[in-house]
Amino acid sequence: MLKLRNISKSFPGVQALKNVSLEFNIGQVHALCGENGAGKSTLMHIIAGSILPDSGEILWNNRSVSIRDVQQARQLGIAIVYQERTLADSLTVAENIFQANPPRNKIGLIDYQSLHANARQMLDELGLQAIPSTRSVDTLSPAAKQMVEIARALVQEHSLLILDEPTASLTTAETNSLFSIIRKLAKKGTAIIYISHRMAELAAISDIISVLKDGEYQGSFDAKQTATEIILTKMVGRQLLNYKYETHIQKETALEVKKLTGKYFHDISFKLNKGEILGIAGLEGSGRTSLARAIFGDEEIISGHVLKNEHLFKARHPADAIAAGIAYLPEERKGSGLFSTMDIASNIIVTGLNGLWYDKAENNVLAETYRKQLDIKTNSVTTIVQQLSGGNQQKVVIAKWLHTHPDVLIINEPTHGVDIGAKTAIYEILKYLTGTGISILLISSDMPELLLLSDRVMVMYNGEARSILKRSQMTEETITAIATGI
Amino acid sequence: MKPALYLRDKVFFLTAIIVILCIVMAVTFPAQFATIDNFSQLLLNLSIDTIVAVGMMILMIAGMFDLSVGSIVAFSGGMAGYLMYYHNVNFLLAIAAGIGGSVIIGFLNGWLIARARINPMIQTLAMMGIVRGLALMLSGAGIQNFSYEFVYIGQSKLLGLQAPVWYMLAIVLLFIFLVRRTIFFRKYYFIGANEKAARFSGIRVEKMKIWAFVLSALLAGIAGILLSSRLGAALSTSGKGLELRAITAVILGGASLSGGYGRIAGAFLGALFMALINNMLIISRVSGYWQEIILGCILILAVGLDQWLLKKIENK
Repeated sequence: MLKLRNISKSFPGVQALKNVSLEFNIGQVHALCGENGAGKSTLMHIIAGSILPDSGEILWNNRSVSIRDVQQARQLGIAIVYQERTLADSLTVAENIFQANPPRNKIGLIDYQSLHANARQMLDELGLQAIPSTRSVDTLSPAAKQMVEIARALVQEHSLLILDEPTASLTTAETNSLFSIIRKLAKKGTAIIYISHRMAELAAISDIISVLKDGEYQGSFDAKQTATEIILTKMVGRQLLNYKYETHIQKETALEVKKLTGKYFHDISFKLNKGEILGIAGLEGSGRTSLARAIFGDEEIISGHVLKNEHLFKARHPADAIAAGIAYLPEERKGSGLFSTMDIASNIIVTGLNGLWYDKAENNVLAETYRKQLDIKTNSVTTIVQQLSGGNQQKVVIAKWLHTHPDVLIINEPTHGVDIGAKTAIYEILKYLTGTGISILLISSDMPELLLLSDRVMVMYNGEARSILKRSQMTEETITAIATGI
Repeated sequence: MKPALYLRDKVFFLTAIIVILCIVMAVTFPAQFATIDNFSQLLLNLSIDTIVAVGMMILMIAGMFDLSVGSIVAFSGGMAGYLMYYHNVNFLLAIAAGIGGSVIIGFLNGWLIARARINPMIQTLAMMGIVRGLALMLSGAGIQNFSYEFVYIGQSKLLGLQAPVWYMLAIVLLFIFLVRRTIFFRKYYFIGANEKAARFSGIRVEKMKIWAFVLSALLAGIAGILLSSRLGAALSTSGKGLELRAITAVILGGASLSGGYGRIAGAFLGALFMALINNMLIISRVSGYWQEIILGCILILAVGLDQWLLKKIENK
């Protein structure tokens, strides 16, 4: 039905897809898997018409087509359910389902009677008798919203349905009912592309599993015949950087977390030693970011304790955590790490805004020492950070946290969107910091990074700490397996 | 610096334009424009607006604004007038009550916006109506016959300039200094540039927001006392439309609705520019109806020009 031939796509600084060729057939559930940044989303966007490929050919029913926009993809019969929610929360279920093309009466106004009747029929077909078509979407559970999202994709003429991480917000029972819907659709002849991180699910639902790694096609496997381990090894393994692991771990405990429970994680306990790097692995939504924010005073702690240097400590605001010597480098560099429109110096000294007088010249001198220490590549600390590369921006954020002289540094995806050179530089900085006695909690989706830097790795799944692995037990396969719930 | 960057620096740009306008006017209407009386009057006219605009500038730097300031001006004068006229309260106490009441209004605005997370536009719009109502209750059809001490505050002269001008200059200079040199006020730039990052960097954003609204209301309260003292009357209609004039001045002076930009000098220059345009139109006998039309057009032009310059800089 759909054939992709030698599709390539590059973004500034990254080759997202390299000569990918794939085939999707009628009545087949075809799973796409790969790590973060493997190119799954880019490929899906190309099929859906929201991104144009740089080169390559798309064949639809053996006819060469170019999918220039979303409208055209829709006309071909390609329906897509995005990972992000795209529903209009204040409208009803029925209005959302028929958003693109609501039934109209003679004078062109929306015919609400048929709208609700059609929506009802659609929902019943999907086995969603429990969802009333007249309910406003914002009153639905996340799972029901996901189902409405799917129903909306299915009302249009479709012969190919793409699902991107559809089970991220679903419970096991809900996942099962979604699977039975998928099977029903496949039986009716719909081709299905199923994108997911969760290996256990892929084996259960799909017929074929194709693997992408760093934008390259790694092969397709029969889902029922192939062992999960084989697929995992295809997903992982990459060339290593020029970096040598070294431990600076000391005996004293710097941070202890005891049975900590928050909104998105429960009963987490661990000890972080002085000079240690403790990696935290887990999928998005596993609660790892939430845990970090709770320790940092940005999210509510429901129960449990945090001990800093063996003293009980509770941050109600990030300012409390900073005062206690804890720093947090958030995952969205632009959204919550940087003041993009301000200069480097301001971005660094912001964490030290205490006292009465502000002295720009003094701040510039101070910032300059950090610029030299971290080798931020720019002429002057008065450069606006927007103009820096991702790697240099990240160094600015690191500098800002060094400026607080922390004992514990929590870093979330420190090398996301950063090139190899800057990556190595950031690793060297982290190693140097542990040498000075700073402890690091490293949250990362980048497996090689976790393996390379961490003294131990804690793996989270569904808000729980599933296990804490010593360096001798850490392999990409074990971590991925635990993180995906196997 | 490239020319486009100079043009985008509002303090520089406005100063240049103001100087040019003054020269043109002085040449064209030497007898009417270039007189001490005209300038003294011009400065007097913009003093109340500028004092309010200083508070508005600080809010805008932090990415917020306050629509209730015009009503607070009427409330503050009305409160003081009511206490002095009907209850024979000492004028200093009455002033303290007017300004104190304004501060409470500002605190309510700030608390509801920062802690209860009400949208600033809706909160201060509602407060604009509430406080205007309070001002009406206090001063009714207007209160007159104030004591000499009270009237002296706004009507005395020093070196040929009326007292409100001096208050304005003092407030502008004080805040230029504070905003440049104190850590407290610098924090508003960070909040305006990226509120989330500011919180993560340890800035107590909610508290800072409450202070900004308190400060804005405090300045509006002071402006209200000055206005009623200068007029010798507390009117419930005082300060009508002032909130929009202050926002216009502040935007002309380099603030951005999304926050992170602006300087106190810009608030003064923006107000001065607007007063100058009005003055020009009056002297050249253009109908009063045109004033608002022309000011509106200038605002659109200024913002449009800024966008265009920004594009030019980014394309380089």
